[in-house]
Amino acid sequence: MSILEYNGAAILAMTGKNCVGICSDSRLGNQAQTVATDFEKIFKMGDKLMVGLPGLATDVITMKELLTFRLNLYRLREEREIKPETFSALMSHILYQKRFGPYFVEPIVAGLKEDNTPFISAFDLIGAPVVTDDFVVGGTCTNNLYGMCESFYRPDMDKDELFETMAQCLLTSVDRDALSGWGGVVHIITPEGIMSKTLKGRQD
Amino acid sequence: MGDSAYSFSLTTFSRTGKLLQIEYALMAVQQGKTSLGIKATNGVVIVTEKKLPSVLIDSDEVSKISLVTPSTGFVYSGLGPDYRVLARKSRKQAQAYYNIYREVQPVGQLVRDTAGVMQEYTQRGGVRPFGVSLLVAGYDDDGPQLYQVDPSGAYFGWKATAIGKNFVNAKNFLEKRFSEEAELDDAVHTALLTMREGFEGEMTEKNIEDRKFRILSEQEGKDFLDEAN
Amino acid sequence: MSELSNVAGAGQSVPADLREEVLSASTTNAGGGGFDFENHHRNARIAAELAKSGKEGTLPRAKLTGTTICGCIYKGGVVLGADTRATGGTEVVDKNCEKIHYLAPNIYCCGAGTAADTEKTTEMISGQLDLLRLSTGTQSRVVTACTMLKRMLFRYQGYVSAALVLGGVDVTGPHLYNIYPHGSSDKLPYLTMGSGSLAAMSVFETGFKEDMEEAEAVELVKQAIMAGVFNDLGSGSNVDVTVIRPGGETAIFRGLEKPNEVSELRKTVERPAAIKVPKGATEILASKFQPLSSLVTVEDAPQPMEI
Repeated sequence: MSILEYNGAAILAMTGKNCVGICSDSRLGNQAQTVATDFEKIFKMGDKLMVGLPGLATDVITMKELLTFRLNLYRLREEREIKPETFSALMSHILYQKRFGPYFVEPIVAGLKEDNTPFISAFDLIGAPVVTDDFVVGGTCTNNLYGMCESFYRPDMDKDELFETMAQCLLTSVDRDALSGWGGVVHIITPEGIMSKTLKGRQD
Repeated sequence: MGDSAYSFSLTTFSRTGKLLQIEYALMAVQQGKTSLGIKATNGVVIVTEKKLPSVLIDSDEVSKISLVTPSTGFVYSGLGPDYRVLARKSRKQAQAYYNIYREVQPVGQLVRDTAGVMQEYTQRGGVRPFGVSLLVAGYDDDGPQLYQVDPSGAYFGWKATAIGKNFVNAKNFLEKRFSEEAELDDAVHTALLTMREGFEGEMTEKNIEDRKFRILSEQEGKDFLDEAN
Repeated sequence: MSELSNVAGAGQSVPADLREEVLSASTTNAGGGGFDFENHHRNARIAAELAKSGKEGTLPRAKLTGTTICGCIYKGGVVLGADTRATGGTEVVDKNCEKIHYLAPNIYCCGAGTAADTEKTTEMISGQLDLLRLSTGTQSRVVTACTMLKRMLFRYQGYVSAALVLGGVDVTGPHLYNIYPHGSSDKLPYLTMGSGSLAAMSVFETGFKEDMEEAEAVELVKQAIMAGVFNDLGSGSNVDVTVIRPGGETAIFRGLEKPNEVSELRKTVERPAAIKVPKGATEILASKFQPLSSLVTVEDAPQPMEI
């Protein structure tokens, strides 16, 4: 067993037309035992920027605190909001600093750029970035998520289509993964704000 | 006991509340060759005098304006060697910023960090203040920008300014000639006219355009000079 | 950056401001020093605990670029080639990643091995070359880049697992180096690296000639990478090629050949309606909208006191 599978998680980010979505399951497990079904794995990092942290739950929380700290400092120093691309670079830097003693998280970044075009990226635990223009996935059922996304993704979806597609990709994937599931949450980032919806999922 | 009794130590305030070494550093700046900068609508121009004490000096080996990031440059008045140290530190700092954020360091950030280094050299033991004032010209998301950094670590944003020898006259001249709407070519022209008020001689110019920093070649410089004469 | 103050070696007696400078320089500049081992002991114990509890416990593996990379010298210039697959275990993590990294305007470098290592190592050396160019005012040389890279890799004794093909043109002509993760290097007219290196080398060994024209060299490199793409499971997707021409001028061909591109075909396929999820299909328990803070106006905010 990999330590990345200790608590279980499924996170997915997908692009639409002038919108971008990021969603996760809600389970926190202690290996096979479910401990909580309302565990947050996606965090707001800016008005149009969110980060998903699949991996070891203790590091998910530490990483979230660390990122919040770095971002608060950034805002104070630079008196501006961070761009998704810049945040992505910062994320990679933070992870690589701990190249030989990493946090067990594989972050996923989703945000809208200044011109409201979508930006998504994913990292391995030591900060190697993957930037794509369709979707990125992370967690304990990436195989399932890849399969769903490869079939269901279409370019230029509007925010409602994006929501439905992402929700179904997530729910179907976690139903075939014992370690993740127990409901989910989808955040759709649009130029007007962030729409968050809690999904009904299987409780087994 | 006058102020001079306190000037032995850089970090000791005089009874009148001054740090005399910093004031002396400013005097070193005021004896340096004049440099000036003007902000235009589409860029910034910084100019300095490159008058060499002997014709035997290879002028190609003298460069007073230096690139710090692809879109920010420095020029100075005061002590050349001190300037070189500062420029090196700032380049390194800008590179460190780029390594973290993969984004060119904004001018304001670079100025603040550079000013931070200069301040440190007014408070640490065993060092003396930098004998230079800097003009920092750059272009970032907030448009063209021009800053001045003094030996004390104080920094200011300007529309147009001058430092070094004769800076009071140059600033008076700039106040009369400055125009908010001027474009780069006009700004270069104004800059050279201002320089000419003080001296005659060969000059180097630096010119920022489209976020790229470039030093005008000798020929381009000559063309502008002919225009100004 | 005060947030880096946990980095080993931060002197206790150094004033905070100074430490900031020393650290940011050492962590980001001075030859790649400054890794943070804060979590190392914890991670070692996690591995030990996992092993003890009988669950075959290994620490997670980083993303690899299985990779076929290669380069060859032609008349006065250098051609570099790479595939574009990145893998995590047996899973393809990135179908179109970039493995030819920029080092200087006239020097590029292909990377195989741990993705983060090749990426960060080349970024770091490229930054150092940049500073060096600013202070010397001259073009970077390929030997300089090679020496900086191998010194850094040697310092980390192979733990930074980057296997590189370095190529460029400088005042002394075209150069091509292989740099191994432990810090050794070769200088050859044609070479290959990565898990697909054997496939690619077979193409070079049959097809390489000295003093080829550019088009010929590009074709050979393309065929070599294709051999890797089709015969090595760690390599796949497209062929990227970068040419550094005799003057040091470069041409980047991203996706020069895309033998596995399926998106065009996919567009022509009629999808069944079931693939498209109708609106309202997903059952929602709660919904919340957080408007952009810049779009929010607070209407009955407390008014500032009049003075």
